[in-house]
Amino acid sequence: MKLALRYAALLAILAISIGPFLWQFATSLKGPTEDVFLPDFIPNDPTFGNYAAVADVVPVWTFALNSLGVASVNVVTNCLGAAMAGYALARLKFRGRRFAGVIFASSILVPFEAILISLFLVMRGLGLTDTLTAVVLPGAIAALNVLLLRNAFLALPAEVEEAAVIDGANAWQRFTRLALPSVKGTLVVVALFSFMFSWDDFLWPLVVLSDQEKYTLTIGLAYLQGTFVQNQRLVAAGTIIAVLPLILLFLLLQKHFFRGVGEGAIKG
Amino acid sequence: MTHRPYTPWLFLAPGLAICLMFTIFPFVNMIVLAFTDASALGGGRFTGVDNFVRMAEDPKFWLAARNSALYMIGVVPPLVLLPLLIAMLAQKVVPGIGIFRTAFFTPVIASAVVVGLIWTWLLDSRGLVNNVVEALGGTRIGFLTDSTLLLISSMVVTVWRGLGYYMVIYLAALANVPKDLHEAAMVDGAGPIRRFWSVTVPSLRPTMVLVAALSAVNGFRVFSEIYLLSGGTGGPGGASTTMVLLIQSVGRGLTGEVGYASALSFVLFVILLGLLLVTLKLNRREEQL
Amino acid sequence: MKRRTFLAALAAVPVAGCGLSGGTASNSSANGQVTGEITFQTWSLKPKYTDYVNGVIDAFQKQHQGTAVKWVDQPADGYLAKVMADASAGSLPDVINVPPDLSFPLAKAGQLVNLDESLKDAKPEYLGNAWQAFEIPGKGGCYGFPWYLNTGPIFYNKALFQQAGLDPDKPPTNFKELEEQARKLAQKGIATLGQTPSIADFGLYGVKLFENDKFTFNEPKGVEFVETYKRMYDAGALIPEALTQNYTGAGTKFMAQQTALNPGSAYDLGKFKTDAPSLYANVGITKPITNTGSANMFLHGVSVPKSSKNQATALAFGRFVTNAENQVKFAKLASIFPSTSKGGDDPYFTTDDGSDEARVRVAAAKQLQTAVNYTPVQFSDQMREALLQQLADAMLGKKSAKQALDDAVTECNRLLK
Repeated sequence: MKLALRYAALLAILAISIGPFLWQFATSLKGPTEDVFLPDFIPNDPTFGNYAAVADVVPVWTFALNSLGVASVNVVTNCLGAAMAGYALARLKFRGRRFAGVIFASSILVPFEAILISLFLVMRGLGLTDTLTAVVLPGAIAALNVLLLRNAFLALPAEVEEAAVIDGANAWQRFTRLALPSVKGTLVVVALFSFMFSWDDFLWPLVVLSDQEKYTLTIGLAYLQGTFVQNQRLVAAGTIIAVLPLILLFLLLQKHFFRGVGEGAIKG
Repeated sequence: MTHRPYTPWLFLAPGLAICLMFTIFPFVNMIVLAFTDASALGGGRFTGVDNFVRMAEDPKFWLAARNSALYMIGVVPPLVLLPLLIAMLAQKVVPGIGIFRTAFFTPVIASAVVVGLIWTWLLDSRGLVNNVVEALGGTRIGFLTDSTLLLISSMVVTVWRGLGYYMVIYLAALANVPKDLHEAAMVDGAGPIRRFWSVTVPSLRPTMVLVAALSAVNGFRVFSEIYLLSGGTGGPGGASTTMVLLIQSVGRGLTGEVGYASALSFVLFVILLGLLLVTLKLNRREEQL
Repeated sequence: MKRRTFLAALAAVPVAGCGLSGGTASNSSANGQVTGEITFQTWSLKPKYTDYVNGVIDAFQKQHQGTAVKWVDQPADGYLAKVMADASAGSLPDVINVPPDLSFPLAKAGQLVNLDESLKDAKPEYLGNAWQAFEIPGKGGCYGFPWYLNTGPIFYNKALFQQAGLDPDKPPTNFKELEEQARKLAQKGIATLGQTPSIADFGLYGVKLFENDKFTFNEPKGVEFVETYKRMYDAGALIPEALTQNYTGAGTKFMAQQTALNPGSAYDLGKFKTDAPSLYANVGITKPITNTGSANMFLHGVSVPKSSKNQATALAFGRFVTNAENQVKFAKLASIFPSTSKGGDDPYFTTDDGSDEARVRVAAAKQLQTAVNYTPVQFSDQMREALLQQLADAMLGKKSAKQALDDAVTECNRLLK
C-alpha cells in the first residue's frame, strides 16, 4: 500500500516532468507530410530519417568529440579545484577565509552576458582566442561548485578529522583520504553539473572560436536553423542528439548520489 | 593550528585564480564602464554618476526591480521545499527509480527554446489550457498577454525547470547525512516525520540555505522564461520586464548603450550581493540560537 | 532571431537595364596588390550553400593567383555577439557579411572601408537603392557591397477565409479591405494578424518616417494608421500575442494556422512545405498591401573592416562575391534576388512556368523594380522595442494612438544621438 502511494506520487511528477522531452522526441520522428507546429505527441508515420539527415548536415561526430573533450576536462578541473577550495573554506581555519568565501559567492552573482566582451578581450590579451583552452578556462572551477562542496565538507562530523590530526596527518592527507571519500555524492553532482554546463554552453564557445574544426556540438547544431531553410524536425532531432548523452550520463550517475556515506571514512 | 599558514591558500589558489581572472577582473572592467556613456563600439566619456541619476529617474528601472523582486519572492519558497520533497521521494531505492530520477531531471537539460515552445502551447491564447477552459464553458485567460499573469506563468516554468536541478543538490546532501544519526533516532523511537524534522532538516540546513540563496539569485535574475514566453519582449508594453531583460534590451547589439547597461548590471550585482549577505547573516544568527 | 533588415528610406529607383558590365572585379583596388590570405565570414549559409560559396572562392583564387580565402560561416543565432566581440577587439574578419542594420553602426564608428573612396568605379554595377542602403544618410560614403535582396508576397490562409464566408480568391488589396475582411474573420473568432505594425508597415501606409535627422512617424498619417490597428485589435482581428510578437513569432502563428494572413518572403514557401504541409495545401499568395505603390525589401551586403591587413584583396573579393554572375547563381539556389544592375534581366526572374515558386519569384522580381527599403537605417533594435511597447499600450487603450507615437518618437530621437 505504501509502495503504491509512493509510485503514484512518482508517476505524477514523472508526467509533469517529461512532457517537453517526449514532444521533442515525437517531433524528431515526424515524417515530411506532418505539421510541426502542432502540439501532438504521436507522429503518423514515425521515421528515424531526420537523425540521418542531421548527420548529413552537421559533422556531428567531430563536434561531439570537441564537446566531449571540453566537457571532460571541465569535469576534472571542477571536481579537483572546487573540492580543494571548498575544503579550505569548510575545514581549515585561517585569516581571510570569509573574504575568500565572499569572492566565490560574488562570482556567482556576476551576470555572464555583462562580462562577455570584456572576457573576450582578456582571452585575446592572453593570446588564447580560437583555442579550446579558452573555451574551458572561464568555467574550469565554477564558484557554485566550490560552494556546493564547501557545504558537503561542512556536514562531515569533526571527530574523525580530529582523530586524524592526532595521528599526525597533514592537511593534504586529511583532504584526500578522509574528506574526499566522504563527499562522493556531491562530487558526482559537481561532475554532472560541470559536464552539463560545458556541454550546453553556446555563447562563449561561439564568440571565442572561429575555426570550425574546433566547434562544439551546440554551435554545430545551430547550423540546423539555417538562413533560408529551417526544418524543425531536424532541429528537434539535433536537440535530442545533444541531450541523449546527458540523459545517459544521469542514468549512470544517479545511483552514486547515495554513495560515500560512511564508506571510506574512518569509523571513529 | 593544524597546518602551516599558507596551506589554505595553496588549496584555494587554482579556484581563486580562475575566479579572479575570468570573472572578477572582467567585471571590474565593466564597472568602470558604468561611469561612462560608452556605446557598443567603444568610445565613451567619463560622465560620473549620470547613469545612476538616469536610473533613479527611469520608470522602467523601478518597474524591472519591482518585478524581479516579486519574481524572487514567488519562486524561492516552492524551490526550497518542493525539490526537497521530491528528493525524499526519489531517495528510496525502489524498482525503476533510476528512470524516475532521470525523468525528473529532463526539464533541466531540455533546451530553453523547446521549453519555451511547449509552455507557450500550453498557455497561449489558443493553447491547450485555454482550450480546456473554453470546453468547460469559461472564457480564455491571457496567461501570456496579461502582464501579471505572464509573470506568474513564468514563475511556474522557473519552478518546473528548477525541480530536478535542486532535487539533485538535495539528493547529494541527503547522501551526506550520516546514517548513524538516523539509526540513533530510530533507537530512540522517533517516527519518520519526527526523524525528518529532528535529523534530516538540521543536517540539510546549509544546503537549504544554499538552495534558497541560489534560487533567490536566479529568481531575481530571471531572463529566459519571460523572454521566451513573451516572444522576446518584456510582455505587452514592457510591463513584465525584469532587471536582466532590461539590461539586455538596453545593451543589446551594436547600437546598445553599454554605459547605462553596465550601470544597471552593477546595481543588479549590488542588490544580489546584499541579498546573499542577508541570507548568510540570518542563517548564522539562527545557528547561534 | 531571424534576420531583420533595416534599410534607409529612400526614393524608389527603377531597375532598368542600365549600368556597366557587372562582370568580374578588376585589379584596380586603391591600395596595393591583390594577393595573400583573407578571411570571409558569412551569416548562416552552411551547410546548404557550402558548395556554392566554395565554388565562388575557387573561382576567385584561380583568377588571382597567390590569394587564399578562408571561409568561416557563423550560425545566425549569436551572430551579433560574435560581430560585437570582434569589433570591440579589432579582430573582424577581412570580408564580413552584414545587413545594413549592422553595417551602419560599424560604419558610424569608423570601422569600415568607404567603397566610394577606395573603389570609385563599383557603384554603377549595383542597383541604386541597394547601394544607398549601405550609405550613411546625410554623410555620404558607402560601406558595403550590396549582396542579395529579398521581398515577398503576402501569404493568406484560404481555408480560414472560406470559414469566414470570404472569397478565398479575393484577398485584401488595400488597407481598407484588410480592415473589412479582418473584421469578418474576427466575427468567426479567427484572428487575421499576428503582429502590431513594424516601422516598415508605417512606410507602406505612406507615413513619413524620418526627415532632417529626426523621426517623424507620429505625423497625422501615422496616428491614423495606429487607430486602424486599434479598431482591428478591439474587434479581435489581432491575436492577443500580437502585442509582443516579432516577425518570427508571427510567422510561427501563421504556420500553426492561428492567423489568416502574414507578409512573408520568397523563401517562406519552402518553409511552409517542410514545416506546415497542411497550411501549404491551402496557402494563398497575393501582392503586398501598400499606399505608396512600392513594396518593402530587405537586403544583405558584405563589408570590409578598416582593421583588415589585406584591404586590397578583401575589396576585390567582396566585389567578386557580389558581382552579377555570382549573385544570379546564388539567387537561383536560394529564392533571393540579385542586387546588381544587370542581374534582374536573367530569364529566370521573368518567366513563369506555372509552379507556385515561379509565380512568387516572378512577382517578387517585378516588385523589386519599385521596392523600397522602408526601415530607416538608423532604426536600431532599441528603437524597434520602444515602438513595439508603445503600440502595445495604444492597443490596450492605456494611451491614445497619438500619445503612444509621440512617446515612441521621443525615445527614438533620444537614441539617435
